[in-house]
Amino acid sequence: MRRLVIAVLAASLPSIGALTPVDESAFQKLVESHKGKVVVYDFWATWCVGCRAELPKLVALEAKLRGQGFELVTISADEPEQDADAEKFLKRSAVRGTLYRKQPKSDDQFINSIDVKWSGALPALFLYDKSGKKVRSFIGDTDMASVEAAIRKLL
Amino acid sequence: MRRVLAIWVMSSAAVLFAQEFKVGSKVSDFQVQDLDGKPVSFSGLRGQVTVVTFISTQCPVSNGYNQRMNALFNDYSSKGVKFIFVNANQNERAGEVRQHAKNVGFVFPVYKDANNVVADRFGAEVTPENYVIDSSGVIRYHGSIDDSQNEARIRTRGLRLALDAVLAGKPVDLTETKAFGCSIKRARKGT
Repeated sequence: MRRLVIAVLAASLPSIGALTPVDESAFQKLVESHKGKVVVYDFWATWCVGCRAELPKLVALEAKLRGQGFELVTISADEPEQDADAEKFLKRSAVRGTLYRKQPKSDDQFINSIDVKWSGALPALFLYDKSGKKVRSFIGDTDMASVEAAIRKLL
Repeated sequence: MRRVLAIWVMSSAAVLFAQEFKVGSKVSDFQVQDLDGKPVSFSGLRGQVTVVTFISTQCPVSNGYNQRMNALFNDYSSKGVKFIFVNANQNERAGEVRQHAKNVGFVFPVYKDANNVVADRFGAEVTPENYVIDSSGVIRYHGSIDDSQNEARIRTRGLRLALDAVLAGKPVDLTETKAFGCSIKRARKGT
Protein backbone atom coordinates (compact mmCIF):
# COMPACT_ATOMS: atom_id res chain seq x y z
CA MET A 1 0.00 0.00 0.00
CA ARG A 2 2.83 2.35 1.00
CA ARG A 3 4.62 1.61 -2.28
CA LEU A 4 1.43 2.40 -4.20
CA VAL A 5 1.04 5.73 -2.43
CA ILE A 6 4.68 6.62 -3.20
CA ALA A 7 4.25 5.58 -6.84
CA VAL A 8 1.11 7.71 -7.22
CA LEU A 9 2.82 10.63 -5.49
CA ALA A 10 5.89 10.33 -7.73
CA ALA A 11 3.72 10.18 -10.84
CA SER A 12 1.96 13.37 -9.79
CA LEU A 13 5.22 15.32 -9.36
CA PRO A 14 6.13 17.88 -11.99
CA SER A 15 8.72 16.57 -14.40
CA ILE A 16 12.17 17.98 -13.76
CA GLY A 17 14.35 19.10 -16.64
CA ALA A 18 17.98 20.14 -16.63
CA LEU A 19 19.12 22.58 -13.97
CA THR A 20 19.00 26.15 -15.20
CA PRO A 21 22.30 28.01 -14.76
CA VAL A 22 22.23 31.34 -12.90
CA ASP A 23 24.83 34.05 -12.66
CA GLU A 24 24.67 37.39 -10.83
CA SER A 25 22.29 39.08 -13.27
CA ALA A 26 20.09 36.00 -13.62
CA PHE A 27 19.79 35.86 -9.84
CA GLN A 28 18.72 39.50 -9.71
CA LYS A 29 16.10 38.79 -12.39
CA LEU A 30 14.95 35.82 -10.34
CA VAL A 31 14.50 38.03 -7.28
CA GLU A 32 12.68 40.61 -9.40
CA SER A 33 10.31 38.00 -10.81
CA HIS A 34 9.43 36.78 -7.31
CA LYS A 35 8.35 40.15 -5.98
CA GLY A 36 5.03 39.82 -4.20
CA LYS A 37 6.10 36.58 -2.55
CA VAL A 38 8.22 35.74 0.45
CA VAL A 39 11.06 33.61 -0.86
CA VAL A 40 13.81 31.47 0.57
CA TYR A 41 16.67 30.93 -1.85
CA ASP A 42 18.32 27.69 -0.80
CA PHE A 43 21.92 27.25 -1.89
CA TRP A 44 22.74 23.58 -1.57
CA ALA A 45 24.88 20.84 -3.09
CA THR A 46 24.68 17.09 -3.44
CA TRP A 47 27.93 16.72 -1.49
CA CYS A 48 26.63 18.81 1.43
CA VAL A 49 25.21 16.49 4.09
CA GLY A 50 23.52 19.34 5.96
CA CYS A 51 21.90 20.57 2.75
CA ARG A 52 20.49 17.15 1.94
CA ALA A 53 19.06 16.87 5.44
CA GLU A 54 17.57 20.35 5.27
CA LEU A 55 16.01 20.35 1.81
CA PRO A 56 13.07 17.99 2.49
CA LYS A 57 12.22 20.09 5.55
CA LEU A 58 12.19 23.21 3.39
CA VAL A 59 9.96 21.46 0.87
CA ALA A 60 7.55 20.57 3.69
CA LEU A 61 7.66 24.16 4.89
CA GLU A 62 6.83 25.42 1.42
CA ALA A 63 3.91 23.01 1.18
CA LYS A 64 2.62 24.37 4.49
CA LEU A 65 3.03 28.06 3.67
CA ARG A 66 2.62 28.14 -0.12
CA GLY A 67 -1.00 29.25 0.13
CA GLN A 68 0.09 32.25 2.20
CA GLY A 69 2.55 33.45 -0.42
CA PHE A 70 5.78 31.64 0.38
CA GLU A 71 8.02 30.06 -2.22
CA LEU A 72 11.20 28.02 -2.08
CA VAL A 73 13.80 28.39 -4.82
CA THR A 74 16.69 25.94 -4.88
CA ILE A 75 20.06 26.81 -6.41
CA SER A 76 22.60 24.02 -6.60
CA ALA A 77 26.26 24.79 -6.01
CA ASP A 78 27.26 21.56 -7.72
CA GLU A 79 29.41 21.33 -10.79
CA PRO A 80 27.50 20.76 -14.06
CA GLU A 81 28.78 17.16 -14.03
CA GLN A 82 26.64 16.56 -10.94
CA ASP A 83 23.41 17.76 -12.60
CA ALA A 84 22.02 14.25 -12.89
CA ASP A 85 22.64 13.51 -9.22
CA ALA A 86 21.25 16.89 -8.20
CA GLU A 87 18.10 16.38 -10.27
CA LYS A 88 17.63 12.91 -8.86
CA PHE A 89 17.82 14.21 -5.32
CA LEU A 90 15.53 17.16 -6.02
CA LYS A 91 13.00 14.89 -7.67
CA ARG A 92 13.09 12.51 -4.72
CA SER A 93 12.60 15.46 -2.38
CA ALA A 94 9.57 16.64 -4.39
CA VAL A 95 11.02 20.08 -5.06
CA ARG A 96 8.68 22.15 -7.22
CA GLY A 97 9.27 24.68 -9.92
CA THR A 98 12.37 25.55 -11.90
CA LEU A 99 15.60 24.13 -10.56
CA TYR A 100 18.73 26.22 -10.71
CA ARG A 101 22.49 25.73 -10.55
CA LYS A 102 24.85 28.61 -9.93
CA GLN A 103 27.14 29.10 -12.85
CA PRO A 104 28.77 32.51 -12.60
CA LYS A 105 31.94 33.64 -14.32
CA SER A 106 33.42 34.18 -10.87
CA ASP A 107 32.20 32.30 -7.81
CA ASP A 108 33.65 34.97 -5.53
CA GLN A 109 31.79 37.79 -7.29
CA PHE A 110 28.58 35.79 -7.32
CA ILE A 111 28.78 35.04 -3.60
CA ASN A 112 29.59 38.66 -2.81
CA SER A 113 26.70 39.85 -4.96
CA ILE A 114 24.31 37.87 -2.79
CA ASP A 115 25.88 38.69 0.57
CA VAL A 116 29.38 40.05 1.15
CA LYS A 117 29.37 38.45 4.59
CA TRP A 118 28.68 35.02 3.13
CA SER A 119 31.78 32.88 2.87
CA GLY A 120 30.07 30.54 0.43
CA ALA A 121 29.61 27.89 3.13
CA LEU A 122 26.61 25.60 2.66
CA PRO A 123 23.82 25.16 3.41
CA ALA A 124 22.93 28.80 2.95
CA LEU A 125 19.38 30.16 3.03
CA PHE A 126 18.55 33.73 2.08
CA LEU A 127 15.14 35.04 3.02
CA TYR A 128 13.62 37.79 0.85
CA ASP A 129 10.49 39.76 1.64
CA LYS A 130 7.65 40.58 -0.75
CA SER A 131 9.42 43.69 -2.00
CA GLY A 132 12.39 41.59 -3.13
CA LYS A 133 14.61 42.76 -0.30
CA LYS A 134 16.93 40.33 1.45
CA VAL A 135 16.06 40.39 5.13
CA ARG A 136 17.92 37.49 6.66
CA SER A 137 20.39 34.70 6.02
CA PHE A 138 20.78 31.30 7.65
CA ILE A 139 24.23 29.83 7.10
CA GLY A 140 25.13 26.29 8.13
CA ASP A 141 22.86 23.77 9.79
CA THR A 142 19.75 25.68 10.76
CA ASP A 143 16.83 25.04 13.04
CA MET A 144 13.81 24.94 10.74
CA ALA A 145 11.55 26.43 13.44
CA SER A 146 13.54 29.67 13.33
CA VAL A 147 13.30 29.73 9.53
CA GLU A 148 9.54 29.24 9.71
CA ALA A 149 9.18 31.96 12.33
CA ALA A 150 11.16 34.40 10.20
CA ILE A 151 9.06 33.57 7.12
CA ARG A 152 5.77 33.95 8.98
CA LYS A 153 6.74 37.45 10.10
CA LEU A 154 6.94 38.48 6.44
CA LEU A 155 3.76 36.82 5.13
CA MET B 1 15.36 48.38 25.23
CA ARG B 2 13.61 45.39 23.68
CA ARG B 3 14.95 46.43 20.29
CA VAL B 4 18.49 46.72 21.65
CA LEU B 5 18.13 43.31 23.24
CA ALA B 6 16.81 41.84 19.98
CA ILE B 7 19.78 43.24 18.05
CA TRP B 8 22.16 41.89 20.68
CA VAL B 9 20.58 38.44 20.50
CA MET B 10 20.76 38.42 16.70
CA SER B 11 24.41 39.55 16.78
CA SER B 12 25.29 36.93 19.34
CA ALA B 13 23.62 34.24 17.28
CA ALA B 14 25.53 35.35 14.20
CA VAL B 15 28.90 35.07 15.93
CA LEU B 16 29.29 31.34 16.21
CA PHE B 17 32.96 31.40 17.08
CA ALA B 18 35.54 34.01 17.93
CA GLN B 19 37.77 34.53 14.93
CA GLU B 20 41.15 35.83 16.02
CA PHE B 21 43.36 35.59 12.93
CA LYS B 22 42.60 37.54 9.77
CA VAL B 23 44.45 38.49 6.61
CA GLY B 24 47.06 41.07 7.60
CA SER B 25 47.09 40.05 11.25
CA LYS B 26 49.88 38.24 13.02
CA VAL B 27 49.26 34.70 14.10
CA SER B 28 50.06 33.94 17.71
CA ASP B 29 51.05 30.43 18.68
CA PHE B 30 48.58 27.61 18.29
CA GLN B 31 48.69 23.88 18.82
CA VAL B 32 47.34 20.97 16.86
CA GLN B 33 47.72 17.29 17.74
CA ASP B 34 49.42 14.57 15.75
CA LEU B 35 47.41 11.40 15.21
CA ASP B 36 48.85 9.91 18.39
CA GLY B 37 47.49 12.87 20.34
CA LYS B 38 50.82 14.60 20.90
CA PRO B 39 50.69 18.41 20.69
CA VAL B 40 52.51 20.09 17.82
CA SER B 41 53.14 23.78 18.11
CA PHE B 42 53.09 26.35 15.29
CA SER B 43 55.85 28.27 17.08
CA GLY B 44 58.22 25.46 16.19
CA LEU B 45 57.77 26.46 12.54
CA ARG B 46 58.43 30.20 12.98
CA GLY B 47 60.65 31.73 10.34
CA GLN B 48 59.09 29.65 7.63
CA VAL B 49 56.33 30.38 5.18
CA THR B 50 53.48 28.18 6.34
CA VAL B 51 50.28 26.94 4.77
CA VAL B 52 47.46 25.93 7.10
CA THR B 53 44.78 23.89 5.34
CA PHE B 54 41.64 22.53 6.95
CA ILE B 55 40.62 19.22 5.40
CA SER B 56 38.16 16.38 5.89
CA THR B 57 38.09 12.63 5.42
CA GLN B 58 34.42 12.55 4.38
CA CYS B 59 33.83 15.76 2.46
CA PRO B 60 33.69 15.09 -1.30
CA VAL B 61 34.97 18.58 -2.07
CA SER B 62 37.98 18.19 0.20
CA ASN B 63 38.59 14.72 -1.23
CA GLY B 64 38.38 16.18 -4.72
CA TYR B 65 41.46 18.18 -3.83
CA ASN B 66 43.54 15.33 -2.38
CA GLN B 67 45.88 15.01 -5.33
CA ARG B 68 46.08 18.79 -5.75
CA MET B 69 47.11 19.01 -2.09
CA ASN B 70 49.78 16.36 -2.65
CA ALA B 71 51.04 18.35 -5.65
CA LEU B 72 51.11 21.57 -3.61
CA PHE B 73 53.08 19.87 -0.86
CA ASN B 74 55.54 18.40 -3.33
CA ASP B 75 55.96 21.63 -5.28
CA TYR B 76 56.36 23.98 -2.32
CA SER B 77 57.88 21.99 0.52
CA SER B 78 60.99 21.79 -1.63
CA LYS B 79 60.99 25.61 -1.56
CA GLY B 80 60.94 25.69 2.22
CA VAL B 81 57.20 26.05 2.75
CA LYS B 82 55.77 24.25 5.78
CA PHE B 83 52.32 22.71 5.57
CA ILE B 84 49.92 22.09 8.45
CA PHE B 85 47.00 20.02 7.20
CA VAL B 86 44.38 20.06 9.94
CA ASN B 87 41.30 17.96 10.45
CA ALA B 88 39.04 19.95 12.76
CA ASN B 89 35.91 17.87 12.21
CA GLN B 90 34.80 16.49 15.55
CA ASN B 91 33.02 13.57 13.84
CA GLU B 92 36.25 12.35 12.20
CA ARG B 93 38.44 10.63 14.76
CA ALA B 94 42.22 10.28 14.61
CA GLY B 95 41.99 6.63 13.56
CA GLU B 96 39.74 7.51 10.65
CA VAL B 97 42.06 10.37 9.66
CA ARG B 98 45.04 8.01 9.72
CA GLN B 99 43.27 5.39 7.59
CA HIS B 100 42.01 8.00 5.15
CA ALA B 101 45.49 9.48 4.72
CA LYS B 102 46.79 6.02 3.96
CA ASN B 103 43.97 5.19 1.55
CA VAL B 104 44.26 8.38 -0.49
CA GLY B 105 48.05 8.41 -0.40
CA PHE B 106 48.72 11.71 1.35
CA VAL B 107 52.42 12.56 1.19
CA PHE B 108 52.10 14.87 4.20
CA PRO B 109 51.11 14.44 7.83
CA VAL B 110 47.60 15.36 8.97
CA TYR B 111 46.91 16.82 12.39
CA LYS B 112 43.79 16.94 14.52
CA ASP B 113 42.33 20.06 16.07
CA ALA B 114 40.67 18.97 19.31
CA ASN B 115 37.46 20.92 19.94
CA ASN B 116 38.17 22.92 16.75
CA VAL B 117 40.08 25.49 18.77
CA VAL B 118 42.41 26.29 15.88
CA ALA B 119 39.58 26.40 13.33
CA ASP B 120 37.79 28.87 15.60
CA ARG B 121 40.86 31.10 15.92
CA PHE B 122 41.32 31.14 12.13
CA GLY B 123 37.60 31.47 11.50
CA ALA B 124 37.74 28.48 9.17
CA GLU B 125 34.28 27.37 8.12
CA VAL B 126 34.71 24.74 5.43
CA THR B 127 36.99 22.07 4.02
CA PRO B 128 39.22 22.68 2.22
CA GLU B 129 40.06 26.18 3.51
CA ASN B 130 43.56 27.63 3.34
CA TYR B 131 45.76 30.25 4.95
CA VAL B 132 49.24 31.38 3.93
CA ILE B 133 51.36 32.75 6.76
CA ASP B 134 54.56 34.58 5.85
CA SER B 135 57.90 34.23 7.61
CA SER B 136 57.02 37.04 10.03
CA GLY B 137 53.83 35.22 11.07
CA VAL B 138 51.39 37.46 9.20
CA ILE B 139 48.48 35.93 7.24
CA ARG B 140 48.87 36.90 3.58
CA TYR B 141 46.17 34.78 2.00
CA HIS B 142 42.91 33.16 2.98
CA GLY B 143 40.60 31.15 0.78
CA SER B 144 40.41 28.35 -1.71
CA ILE B 145 43.14 26.28 -3.34
CA ASP B 146 41.71 27.28 -6.71
CA ASP B 147 38.37 28.33 -8.09
CA SER B 148 36.95 25.06 -9.42
CA GLN B 149 36.43 21.53 -8.21
CA ASN B 150 36.77 20.50 -11.84
CA GLU B 151 40.42 20.95 -12.77
CA ALA B 152 39.48 21.61 -16.40
CA ARG B 153 37.62 24.76 -15.35
CA ILE B 154 40.24 26.31 -13.06
CA ARG B 155 40.85 29.96 -13.87
CA THR B 156 42.55 31.18 -10.70
CA ARG B 157 44.91 29.23 -8.48
CA GLY B 158 44.69 31.56 -5.49
CA LEU B 159 46.83 29.55 -3.09
CA ARG B 160 49.70 29.04 -5.55
CA LEU B 161 49.59 32.70 -6.60
CA ALA B 162 49.84 33.76 -2.97
CA LEU B 163 52.68 31.37 -2.21
CA ASP B 164 54.62 32.48 -5.27
CA ALA B 165 54.22 36.13 -4.26
CA VAL B 166 55.20 35.55 -0.63
CA LEU B 167 58.23 33.47 -1.59
CA ALA B 168 59.28 36.20 -4.02
CA GLY B 169 58.88 38.85 -1.30
CA LYS B 170 56.13 40.54 -3.30
CA PRO B 171 52.69 41.67 -2.13
CA VAL B 172 49.87 39.21 -2.68
CA ASP B 173 47.38 40.62 -5.22
CA LEU B 174 44.49 38.33 -4.36
CA THR B 175 44.48 38.14 -0.57
CA GLU B 176 41.01 36.66 -0.08
CA THR B 177 38.97 34.20 -2.09
CA LYS B 178 35.84 32.35 -1.09
CA ALA B 179 36.69 28.90 0.17
CA PHE B 180 34.02 26.42 -0.84
CA GLY B 181 33.34 22.99 0.57
CA CYS B 182 31.69 21.16 3.44
CA SER B 183 31.14 22.93 6.73
CA ILE B 184 33.53 22.02 9.54
CA LYS B 185 31.71 19.84 12.04
CA ARG B 186 32.33 21.72 15.25
CA ALA B 187 32.09 20.65 18.86
CA ARG B 188 29.09 22.01 20.70
CA LYS B 189 30.66 24.26 23.27
CA GLY B 190 29.10 25.29 26.53
CA THR B 191 26.43 22.64 26.25
